[in-house]
Amino acid sequence: MRFAVALLLAFVPAGIHAQNQWVLTQSTLTWHVVHPMHEVAGTSHAAKGRGNCSAGQCDFLIAVPVNTFDSGDSNRDLHMVETVRGAQNPIVMVRTHLAQAALSQATIDADLDVQFAGQTAHYAHVQLHRVSHGDQVEITGTVAATCSDFKIDRPSFLTVPIRNEIPVTVDTTWKAQ
Amino acid sequence: MKGIAAGRRVAVCLSVVLLPVLTLAEAADPAAASNPQKSSSSGVSAAVLNLPDAPLPSGMQSQNPSPTQPSQNPNNNPNQQPGNAPTLGDLGFTPQQTLANAEMQKRLNERTHDLKMHQTFGLITAVPMCATVIVAGGAKSKRNRTSPNGTVTGPSDSGVDLHVALGSTTALLYGVTAYYAIAAPKIPGVKPKGAIRWHRDLVWIHAPGMVLTPILGAMALSQENNGEHVHGIASAHSYVAWTTVATYGVSIIAVSWPIHLKFWEK
Repeated sequence: MRFAVALLLAFVPAGIHAQNQWVLTQSTLTWHVVHPMHEVAGTSHAAKGRGNCSAGQCDFLIAVPVNTFDSGDSNRDLHMVETVRGAQNPIVMVRTHLAQAALSQATIDADLDVQFAGQTAHYAHVQLHRVSHGDQVEITGTVAATCSDFKIDRPSFLTVPIRNEIPVTVDTTWKAQ
Repeated sequence: MKGIAAGRRVAVCLSVVLLPVLTLAEAADPAAASNPQKSSSSGVSAAVLNLPDAPLPSGMQSQNPSPTQPSQNPNNNPNQQPGNAPTLGDLGFTPQQTLANAEMQKRLNERTHDLKMHQTFGLITAVPMCATVIVAGGAKSKRNRTSPNGTVTGPSDSGVDLHVALGSTTALLYGVTAYYAIAAPKIPGVKPKGAIRWHRDLVWIHAPGMVLTPILGAMALSQENNGEHVHGIASAHSYVAWTTVATYGVSIIAVSWPIHLKFWEK
């Protein structure tokens, strides 16, 4: 009997500590570029993500290959990959650390670390909006990224460079595992 | 004693049955999991279990509260995340997707360089091309309409020379422009898509036009110098030239399409 209780006590904590995991099931990430002659957007649906929660704290990672963004023009997309050093740094990664309680709020105030083009930029207090759809949760928001944040030389057309601001809109759907 | 033993057995059985259920419920219900009150309803708090806090990602440790001035941590290694934080490996990316490819980056850099040169020379070429068309009238024989028998007066030497000089310059610059487009490294596995397809397809019209136009022009000039009325295929010189100029212009616009002029916005 004592052995059984000891066994139980030994294994139960491991079970209770089992992390809540979140998995990204759908995503639409879109960058926006503005030039006096053009407004262009490139979209990727190829992001993968995971969130691990334990002890009331969650760590999320979202990653997307740079070369999966599609602006509708293959020449532009290749130029984008070159400009952001996408062959050297093929994955864009976004990390965030949240209190687990924040995940149930309609608006999530997140601090994001974005690793892109060989640089890591920190975006504090990014407002993400949460909507539940059954057993899935949709998170939307915009990351106010700029070229200078990642030391990207702004591409130019007719000697006029694009705007420094390259906001990235995020629409992700997560499911708990 | 029997009663105590039986009580222990019941307690153990209840524990065995209920604890995994409680654990599964916590994992399966994100709303409950995110609610600290509900989480604590299991009766096992983090403090009791003596769990350490989830470690911060390395990038989070930098202190930069301003969203407008992000911090740069170029040495951050994404694959070495402490403790609980997920890694790229957890997401299921293949090594081919995550590994840096210096050779490909070099290829892309060369491609961009060549295509920038292509763009620059292409735009420069448009200037003498338009000028050639504008001065074309001065290189053409003219029928004297005031004369009753419609005598033909030949073009001035300077008019012809200017037209030929501008046309030759256009052809030369066009050749340099084409060279950079052809020399730009191709990226395997990328199919042309979007406006660039029009830009590429129109080459099949303006490239032959750029070859034919000066040949037909030379033939027309030769016929005029011989006092002949321009005839035969040489008479198509201006039509071929206009077609070439038009498709060249459309090609420039196509690669820039869609155009949204917003010069007035900062």
